[in-house]
Amino acid sequence: MMAKLIGKRITRNEDPRLLTGQALFVDDVELPGMLHAAFLRSEYAHAILKGVDVSAALERPGVVAAFTAEDMGDDWSPGPPLVIPPPTIEDVEFYTRTQVPLVKDKVRHAGEPLAIVIAENRYIAEDALDDIVVDLEPLDVVTNIERALDPDSPLVHDDLESNLAAHLVQEKGDYAAIREGADKVIKRRIVIERGIAGAIENRGIVASWDNKQQQLTVWDTTQSPIPIRNGLASMFGLSEYQVRVIAPFVGGAFGPKIMMFYPEEVLLTWSTLKMGKPIKWIEDRRENFYATTQERGQVHNVELALTSDGRILGLRDDFLHDTGAYDPYGLTIPLNTQCHALGPYDIPNFSSDLKVVFTNKTLTTPVRGAGRPQGVYVIERMLDIAARELGIDRTEIRKRNYLPKDVFPYDNIIIDQAFESFVIDSGDYLPAMEKALKLIDYEKFTKEEQPKLREGGRRLGIGVVSFIETTGVGPYEGARVTIESSGKVNTATGVGTQGQGHFTSFAQIVAERLGVDVRDVHIVTGDTAQFHWGTGTFASRGAVVAANAVNAAALIVRGKVLKLAGDLLETPEEELELEDGVVRVVDDPTRFISLGDLAQRSNPLRGAVEPGTEPGLEATAYFGPKYGATAFGTHAMIVEVDPETMMVEIKRYIVVEDCGTVLNPLIVEGQLHGGVALGIGNSFYEKLVFDDNGQLLNASFADYLIPTAAEIPTIEIAHQVTPSPLNPLGSKGVGEAGAIPVPALFAQAVENALDVDGLEILESPLSPLRLFELFHGEEKDA
Amino acid sequence: MRIEGEHVFNGSREDVWVMVRDPEVLATLVPGTTKLNQLSESEYEGEINLRIGPISGSFSGKIFVEDEIPPESCTLKAEGDGRAGFFKGSGTVHLSEQDDGTLMKYEGDIQIGGKLASIGQRLIDVTSKTMINQGMKGLDAALEASKAEVADE
Amino acid sequence: MIKAMDITVTVNGEVFQKTIEPRLLLSDFIRHELNLSGTHVGCEHGVCGACTILFDGMPTRSCLMFAVQADGHEIRTVEDLGTMEDLHPLQEAFQETHALQCGFCTSGFLMSILPILEESTDLSEEDLKRAMEGNLCRCTGYQNIRDAVQLAAEKMSSGGES
Repeated sequence: MMAKLIGKRITRNEDPRLLTGQALFVDDVELPGMLHAAFLRSEYAHAILKGVDVSAALERPGVVAAFTAEDMGDDWSPGPPLVIPPPTIEDVEFYTRTQVPLVKDKVRHAGEPLAIVIAENRYIAEDALDDIVVDLEPLDVVTNIERALDPDSPLVHDDLESNLAAHLVQEKGDYAAIREGADKVIKRRIVIERGIAGAIENRGIVASWDNKQQQLTVWDTTQSPIPIRNGLASMFGLSEYQVRVIAPFVGGAFGPKIMMFYPEEVLLTWSTLKMGKPIKWIEDRRENFYATTQERGQVHNVELALTSDGRILGLRDDFLHDTGAYDPYGLTIPLNTQCHALGPYDIPNFSSDLKVVFTNKTLTTPVRGAGRPQGVYVIERMLDIAARELGIDRTEIRKRNYLPKDVFPYDNIIIDQAFESFVIDSGDYLPAMEKALKLIDYEKFTKEEQPKLREGGRRLGIGVVSFIETTGVGPYEGARVTIESSGKVNTATGVGTQGQGHFTSFAQIVAERLGVDVRDVHIVTGDTAQFHWGTGTFASRGAVVAANAVNAAALIVRGKVLKLAGDLLETPEEELELEDGVVRVVDDPTRFISLGDLAQRSNPLRGAVEPGTEPGLEATAYFGPKYGATAFGTHAMIVEVDPETMMVEIKRYIVVEDCGTVLNPLIVEGQLHGGVALGIGNSFYEKLVFDDNGQLLNASFADYLIPTAAEIPTIEIAHQVTPSPLNPLGSKGVGEAGAIPVPALFAQAVENALDVDGLEILESPLSPLRLFELFHGEEKDA
Repeated sequence: MRIEGEHVFNGSREDVWVMVRDPEVLATLVPGTTKLNQLSESEYEGEINLRIGPISGSFSGKIFVEDEIPPESCTLKAEGDGRAGFFKGSGTVHLSEQDDGTLMKYEGDIQIGGKLASIGQRLIDVTSKTMINQGMKGLDAALEASKAEVADE
Repeated sequence: MIKAMDITVTVNGEVFQKTIEPRLLLSDFIRHELNLSGTHVGCEHGVCGACTILFDGMPTRSCLMFAVQADGHEIRTVEDLGTMEDLHPLQEAFQETHALQCGFCTSGFLMSILPILEESTDLSEEDLKRAMEGNLCRCTGYQNIRDAVQLAAEKMSSGGES
């Protein structure tokens, strides 16, 4: 079948609604009699809760209810773990400690909720927070992950012997043995700090229990409506059919909107069930800085063993990962880090000792990249250092170590986030690198332009890094495709959408399979009343797992269409084509029947449905990949550092991306732009600063700097296509790809620009201030 | 946050010491103080209205005076909280005589949390310096006034 | 109780008379009293720009104003641009260049850029940057928004003829 729509640059179906302000976001939900909630949160990061008295709040006019942990009675319990630790790794230690709906005994991070107030409006609810009397006895605080395992460190969870949340060792080959004979062993300590996801829409929930219908409806800014529905039903003893969770348009998510369960999701539901009134809670930006999950904090002690000609013999990466006060998300992030530290390279021996630690900080769960940027940072920085010490060009050392294209599928032995052996399905790394080098003109820049500019006193640098991205993991997603009697097609899927263009990319697949206009395919996402099997939008899996389910369902419907039309037109199916909303005879286009007519005929008002057949032109199908598809690419950039201010200007930015089959280049490029922009923030502008008391010192957009249009350069994108053999469309995910290599790239380019002997950047994010310190510190020594 | 500095008062060490240890004077010293009661020889409780950038609110807290060596030095400990956050700190005040009056040296550490820390951070340094300056000016004025009183008598 | 106040405000050409609390934010007034929920709130401290509206023609953060301050003034929100069936050239340009993803910040961008294009469609690089740097977007990396503004300038300069 000729691809007519898949792969085409088609503008988005959802845009007119979003552009005219007609798209429904959670805070747009207005229900009669709706009440408004606000949460009292702990200012202390670690404290014994001795009492919460809400009686004065209840006396304030307009306040309807106020609840504490005590009020929840037997309904109070810590959340179920979202991701269990992998059973497939030997000797894994894991201590599950999950978040609580309201603090009962001890506060473990600043921002943990102590009480909920429900009032006629948000203003009154917030006023009433001031009326609540809280008795907290502050405790010593642990924030530094390198000190968290000291014997005298304060304990985040008193029932544990230490702040160790998990410990596991992953091995491939025999690193210790190979290290002995290595020509070169490089050791470094690498520190990566926390940032936020920074979706412009904060979280929000509207929960409404209708006692007469015995029906609970929850609008939630979640990436994962179906598991939320299943979880709420089980938590509150309801049938899953009594619970409808709707993730309407969501204003960006980037990972943290999939935490389960956030205390607010439990509390809003519990409160509406108790009160029988709809209740709305919309997070404010400051709450978002404390109560919405974060990521990236890790400290690595790394060793790279090489031959004298720059071939990697082995990598050792022992690291600490900061999980914050609780660990509901298991090991997803650090397992990603381990896998991505191997990169696109042939690393025969690998050893990684991972310790996850509890701290008195907001919990960490995946943020766009999810542990991958850290792993990429580790291997790419080590290769840069190795190249310098061995006198090999940075790009050459990478080329020497790439896995060759004929080794795939390649088994990396260690366990990945899906708890399976980390197998790379496909890859072809060298051409992506070559393309990037050509686009940025590496030879000319390094040999001609850069020396000339340096002579003129300017500090320009170039960076080139490669990366892989595991995407599209299982377990599965599903879709239901229905041709309606109007001839339009409805497609329902379980994943939610937060800007990824599902209304269009999925529609392209359906439109191509059924020969209809893309604008005539209506996509429903994120409403459990429409489709209730699936997991969610995460791990760059929409265009892989959900798209292939959509494809499978559309193909079944196509089969039904052809069979029915074949009967009616008395023509063999092979002689029919689907085009322009009709089925017609290829050789005689005057003989046709419209899809709308077929839909009506398939659902007759008279006559019987024959045994073994179903009414309607509809099909539901599922897709579950055996394992994840691995995308890859090379990014390159040229920067200029102002030696006075240490500001970094990005002069050029090149992306060569291979995410397999591209469903819609417009959307894929948009994903890459946004990913790179977040990566630039992660590299230079965005850092959460906690003091020793666990106080976040920059909890506003005035102090925590998300890049603006002034900071983000034009990003030049080139595609390479190595289809994944694991799914019929050949697609791989791309949602996180943009963000993953940027910190490593930025460090390399800036280091190259500064060009100071002995100056090594081993941390992320940087900042003008930090660069100034590094630069002048080194100059003094020199 | 670290606080340190010095100030020269136009008066004798004994007079300055009396000023510093007088709760009524102290109350006028710290801008925004709405209440200051002496609970014992070495313990005060009070309320203060603070405004730091976008954050304002009332705080209630206690001040403890320790290791007192009149009229030379003492250690001050303070802690308090309010809806806008909390603070906890300690510091020493040291008075020494010099030709043109009395030199006060002060240093201390203060920990700040809650909204004050997370939103007011950029302004805390400046605000605390302003408050200290205002306090010192207040002390200067109080000292002059007490001299005038003495002169009147 | 806080004394309510009467205000008269013109929003998208329609005159509204409302009795409101003096502390009601203009953003909440627009969204929840007038049900014009196309204006979004992202930070409530005037940084992200999602709540930008036109206040007497000037791009203004509606989260930083009280509704009572709008008494006697004129407001335009995103709902005053085109409709789903008939988009404004600026909205068309956003769709054509894929200048929005989740769409949450979009109305703020539209309302920040609109008066600049209405004043002049001859934009320098610098004008373009200035038109955009007051608004945060986390999805697009801004590149396609830059392209959209340029395309919109072209569309709007050829104006009525096309």
